[in-house]
Amino acid sequence: MPQFDTHFFSSLIFWEVLSFGILLWILYKFALPPILEGLETRERKIRESIEQAEQNRTSAEQRLQEYEKKLQGAAQEAEGILNEARQKAQRLFEENEQRIRSETERIKEETTQDIDRERRRALQEVRGQTADLALLIAEKVLSRSLADEDHTRLAKEALDAVSAQQPKVGGKE
Amino acid sequence: MDNPLHPFELHPLVPLSLFGLDISINKAVLVMWIVVALVLILFIRARSSGSLIPTKLQSLAEMLVDFIRGIIEDTMGKDGMRYFPLISALFLFILFCNLVGLIPGSYTVTSQLVVTGVFAVSVYALSVIIGFSVHGAKFLGVLVPPGTPGWLIPLMIPIELISQLARPISLAVRLFANMTAGHVILGVLFGLTIAGGVLIGWLPFAFTVALYALELGIAFIQAYIFTVLTCVYMGDAIHPH
Repeated sequence: MPQFDTHFFSSLIFWEVLSFGILLWILYKFALPPILEGLETRERKIRESIEQAEQNRTSAEQRLQEYEKKLQGAAQEAEGILNEARQKAQRLFEENEQRIRSETERIKEETTQDIDRERRRALQEVRGQTADLALLIAEKVLSRSLADEDHTRLAKEALDAVSAQQPKVGGKE
Repeated sequence: MDNPLHPFELHPLVPLSLFGLDISINKAVLVMWIVVALVLILFIRARSSGSLIPTKLQSLAEMLVDFIRGIIEDTMGKDGMRYFPLISALFLFILFCNLVGLIPGSYTVTSQLVVTGVFAVSVYALSVIIGFSVHGAKFLGVLVPPGTPGWLIPLMIPIELISQLARPISLAVRLFANMTAGHVILGVLFGLTIAGGVLIGWLPFAFTVALYALELGIAFIQAYIFTVLTCVYMGDAIHPH
């Protein structure tokens, strides 16, 4: 086998040791430490990032729960406020209705009283005028000497005039 | 048909010598340099773009680094990270040698027994040195597994000694044999493809394609095995039994 040709052993061993030595030295001095360090840094960063993310998630969940609780509270509060407003409106409405009803009642009462008073006054007036007319008729009958037919006729006329006047007064009521 | 071992032959390209020692530059040496350059380009580029969000190249380098770190922590524990640069250089060198060797026309450095042997012996020697420096003479206790009855000790010591010596040998031979065998089979199948012509040649060619995919996996697995065993040996030295 060509591999057992001792002629090349010395050069192979020499160059192998030298090449390997150079490789080892450069790797040891310049290449490996930064790569190892980089790997470790990355591992640490990833671990930290995962931990951080976990923390963020936990706190976000907590905050979400808080907000949900707050939201629920706010909804309840709004419901309460709405209910109160509704009740207040109802109460105001009822109060207004009551007031309007009593006011109406009062106005009606007053109006009735006014009408009654006016009617009584009008009746009084009519009575006064009737008396005046009776006196007038009596005067006319006495002051003139008239035939019986005339008396009767005149008296009839006077009574007609009175009765014609009376319904006019009563119609005003 | 070509000799299937022909691709493993080396020829000096630039004759050189150092204190009478032949250090001529040949194809395997050139590929070693290419491998070193590739690893360094990958890692220096990955480092220079060392941002938190990795680029593609950075991801690749970081994946490799993480992979090696995983091997070390699984076999040696946290203490093993002291040897991280050595283990990663070893893994990357072997992996890239295996992969570059798959490029047609290049050379598989790890198919040279002397190359894998140097790694295996050095790594094993290092593990023994670590063992003695950490535990002193107590490290000799690895030759006597715990719970061995006293009368078995004379038998166990030679057996354990052999098993210890087998470690670097198996480490070296495993990588060398796997790389050599894979390339020999690929070479043979290619030879058959050429010899078979259009009529029958498609069959060995189909096998080459499949085998090539398998070789890619083997290139990775052998680098992984070499690294894991290195870590296991060193781990044994740090925490014996």
